[in-house]
Amino acid sequence: MMPSRTTFTSGYISGLLWRSGIRYHFRRPWLYALSVIGIALGVAVVVSIDLANNSAKKAFLMSTESVTGAATHQINGTGRRLDEEVYRTLRTELGIRKSAPVIEGYASKPDLSRTFQVLGVDPLAEEHFRSFSSQQAGIELSTFMSGEITGFLSETTAEALQTAPGDTLELIAGGRPYPLLVAGLIQTKDKYSRQALENLIIVDISTAQIMFGMEGHLSRIDLILPDDEAGRPGLLRRAYPEPSSTRTGSSTDTAERLEAMLPDGISVVRSGSRTETVAQMTRAFELNLQSLSMLALLVGMFLIYNTITFTVVQRRPLIGRLRALGVTRGEILRMILGEAFIIGLPGTILGLTGGILLAQFLLQFVTQTINDLYFVVSVQQVAIAPLTLLKGMLLGVGATLLASLWPAREAARAPVRIVLQRSEKDALLKKNIPILSLTGLLAILAGIGSLFLPEETIISGYLSLLLIIIGFSLVVPLLISILASLLHPLAGLAFGLPGRMAVRGVVADLGRTSVATSALVIAVAAAIGVGLMVDSFRVTVDSWLKSQLQADIYIQAPGFSTREPDAGLNPELITLLREAPGVSGSHSVQRTEVQTSQGVDRLTVVETDRESTRSYQLRKSDPGLWNRFDNEPVLLATESYAFRNGVTVGDTIVIITDRGDQDFVILGIYYDYSSDTGLLTMSRMVYDRFFQNKIISGLALYTDDGTIVETLMSELRERSAGIQNVIIQSNQGLREASLEIFDRTFTVTIVMRFLAVLVAFIGVLSALMALQFERSRDMAVLRASGLTPAQLWGLVTGQTGVMGFMAGLLSIPLGVVMAAILVYVINLRSFGWTLQFQITPEMLIQAMLVAVTAAILAGLYPSWKITKTNPADALRDE
Amino acid sequence: MTNPHITEPRIPDKPYPGNSRAGKPHPGNPQPDNPHAGNHTILNADSLVKSYKEGEKERMVLDHLSLSVAQDDMVVLLGRSGSGKSTLLNLLSGIDRPDKGSVTISGHNITRLDEKQRTLFRRAHIGFVFQSFNLIPTLTVLENIMLPMELNGFGDRRKHDAARNYLDEVGLLDRSDTYPDRLSGGEQQRVAIARAVAHEPRLILADEPTGNLDYKTGSHVTGIFHQLAKKTGSTVIIATHDQNMRRFADHIYLFNEGTIHSAGDMSEQADA
Repeated sequence: MMPSRTTFTSGYISGLLWRSGIRYHFRRPWLYALSVIGIALGVAVVVSIDLANNSAKKAFLMSTESVTGAATHQINGTGRRLDEEVYRTLRTELGIRKSAPVIEGYASKPDLSRTFQVLGVDPLAEEHFRSFSSQQAGIELSTFMSGEITGFLSETTAEALQTAPGDTLELIAGGRPYPLLVAGLIQTKDKYSRQALENLIIVDISTAQIMFGMEGHLSRIDLILPDDEAGRPGLLRRAYPEPSSTRTGSSTDTAERLEAMLPDGISVVRSGSRTETVAQMTRAFELNLQSLSMLALLVGMFLIYNTITFTVVQRRPLIGRLRALGVTRGEILRMILGEAFIIGLPGTILGLTGGILLAQFLLQFVTQTINDLYFVVSVQQVAIAPLTLLKGMLLGVGATLLASLWPAREAARAPVRIVLQRSEKDALLKKNIPILSLTGLLAILAGIGSLFLPEETIISGYLSLLLIIIGFSLVVPLLISILASLLHPLAGLAFGLPGRMAVRGVVADLGRTSVATSALVIAVAAAIGVGLMVDSFRVTVDSWLKSQLQADIYIQAPGFSTREPDAGLNPELITLLREAPGVSGSHSVQRTEVQTSQGVDRLTVVETDRESTRSYQLRKSDPGLWNRFDNEPVLLATESYAFRNGVTVGDTIVIITDRGDQDFVILGIYYDYSSDTGLLTMSRMVYDRFFQNKIISGLALYTDDGTIVETLMSELRERSAGIQNVIIQSNQGLREASLEIFDRTFTVTIVMRFLAVLVAFIGVLSALMALQFERSRDMAVLRASGLTPAQLWGLVTGQTGVMGFMAGLLSIPLGVVMAAILVYVINLRSFGWTLQFQITPEMLIQAMLVAVTAAILAGLYPSWKITKTNPADALRDE
Repeated sequence: MTNPHITEPRIPDKPYPGNSRAGKPHPGNPQPDNPHAGNHTILNADSLVKSYKEGEKERMVLDHLSLSVAQDDMVVLLGRSGSGKSTLLNLLSGIDRPDKGSVTISGHNITRLDEKQRTLFRRAHIGFVFQSFNLIPTLTVLENIMLPMELNGFGDRRKHDAARNYLDEVGLLDRSDTYPDRLSGGEQQRVAIARAVAHEPRLILADEPTGNLDYKTGSHVTGIFHQLAKKTGSTVIIATHDQNMRRFADHIYLFNEGTIHSAGDMSEQADA
């Protein structure tokens, strides 16, 4: 009987095995570094987008919270305007003392490109609401309410602007310049308050009314409503005794009773409800950015998969030796995963650091987009959220381990007899091509199938995209083989034997070339997909602008965001402009907000005639739309509004008007790309029947035949000078300005597209370096056989060029499919926009060039290194 | 030069902790299938059949091959390239499984063990010497020799001392911190031999150990191998086409068309 021997369980990993694995990577520092950088870039992109999004959101919430203060409820009017009489009634007749009038607006300091939130308050009423704007905070009434344009800033803001009390800040509000005298500084106790107040200017309520053209009006009234019975205001209790059956004493009941006491069109809402609505607006925008950033991580995962596969394939004989010595499959699996960990961990840590730095850079673009599309927010610094870092950590290490799992499993499962034989290394992949391709096709079909799931979510759209990408990458080895058989004779004809060798080399090392090519295919396809989507979007928007903008000249008061209601045009100026010689006709536009049964919605009030109705590209409409538009309570809704709110032609929306709640019927859905949150459009004539707000925020002017637009614009500028600073743009100018905003909102997307290609470039570089270094023995044989270094260089570069060419070619169909999904599915499900799908040949040629250039560049160093290597060294056996 | 380690008694065997606790044998130390197997026979291969697919055709590599090897013997399997010698070694070590037949080592039928059990069995009881040396390039010479001992749970001090002793025995102590790629072929094979014997396996399998060496180096390396194996009391099976290996053999088998024939007991011939 054989005596027993001391053995380990297979759960233990020998220290020597670890050492061997780590040394393997450290012996190839360039490859190791490239793998680490690849993961780092992937993680950095995801983390930076997350940080930039969160910083913008946090800044918005902080500034909202700071201006909301302790208020539990707000009284709002229609169109974000409230008659100040309501406040007087509240204080004097209803005796609600815990109430404060507020005017909110924005002012910019153009020389510093900074936008400030201006809060108009009554310091006497502020005591219970905002600690920083009350008399207790040190605001001196005599200077604050001096009748001049005076305001208070926080200490840190003053420091940043290098301003002190007594100085004057040149601000622009509502298109007019205001020299604001800094009356004092707000003392802030903690970091949170400092951050919350860093873009805030406190002014007296009457000053704010002047600045924002809101004489006699307020933005809202803040309230603190008690929760308990005892705390309810006495007059209110007397005026509105609650029914005994509903005696709950909650602040909501109080709010409802209060609302019933106030004039029609005035609502009492919870303070947080508006913040929630606004924060939700950016959800789709954030999700899309996050998804695009995940694309970079996906490409990074391919890179890791590529690296680990390479290390496994290259070490097959070594793994065979270890297995022959008695190392179990489990130990091999853990060893490979352990090695992946030593790539993933430093890569992730580096990625987190890089992500924070990249976030600083991306923040300005994200903030700009949010400002352009949603709401005004000013973010000065990146808020580093521990949760984001933890997510990045898990994502980086997790992605590395996930990408390594398959090659590690393959290494562990390979029979010892096979792995001991060097020549078998690529036989397995070639044998598996049919099954890989079949799996790939099934994944692609599953991806297409998931587009038709009953639950039409953005997530299922991205899932489909992911399945198609993975599926396609599995078909890549087969496609490479097919392409190689087609290119082989052509390369032979063009370049002779080296040409044939270059093509053949790609297929001979399919195990590694296919992974490297797949990584490049996906990155370039992503670039094509995103590029075509942006192009399609741009073409659609351009054509929509052409149709939408029928007038010759457009005039509007400057605003800070498309979401913010525009400041009004001076009524005097409107008359002056309309009467200018050369103007044959005009339409007014008002952009405002209304409280509807769907929430707070943007409303465009328009004057229409036969001409202007043609500018609406209707997707769906009632036949009697234009006949009823000026006479009945009817509306038009944009495609994105209909999508977001699930409404269609014939549906009714309740709008709180100055005459009370009123039903409006949607009679048409039209294409519009100005806002992803959607718009409602109402006739001016109908609006005037239900609302008292007579403000006009824009004018569209038509010129007489023979009038030169530029000449008329000069005349209009002269007429507006000294009255109001307005933006006067020609049809062409407005179109260009709109497209400029469009391009600006896609800057982040373009940056991420570039980063994905960069990750792929690193992937290809590392794959080719690995491949060529491993082939150094073969190359040495060629050198020994008489190939000159230049010929060898040509051979290696030729092979990498062939890989790039193949990757470019294969990325086109995948890229087009990705673009189609982004256009027809993701955009539609995210924003409700129908886009015209455009395939621009320039984009495809550009992609091809990127792929070939990336591959050739990636092959330069390895080929230089190989030609410099002494063949005798490479020919030496281990 | 004497090697104090080799002259010492064999490293005492320790029971696997799991044995005493669960009462189940550890895969590396399975209970013998035939505890009454002959004391002198360490290995018994019974009617082994192994064939491989080559394209559409099936090629029979081993055809009902049987072989018995006595303890402490050095057996040489002589045959031309492609005659199935390596396949037989793969079956004897549990790297591969026969289509038919069984391999019993010290009463343990390893063909009945699953893949993991065979691996752990191999780790504990079998040493390997390959034609292309197969050292681990990322471990130093000393670490290469320590690896099987580490896998078998030898303590740090013990494996370090033993590895140094074996390295001294093969005359490469001064190269202990060198990586394999800095050694000549002969030196690499000497390290591989030291690695194969270091954990004192019952059975050492060598596949063309002199295949990559010149005649002089090959003879020198084989001499060291023979000497070490005898000192550690390991049974050695060498598969080779090198006729010069005959002189080290206790028993020689000739490979032909998937079967083997004994070419005689060399010790008897020597006695005669």
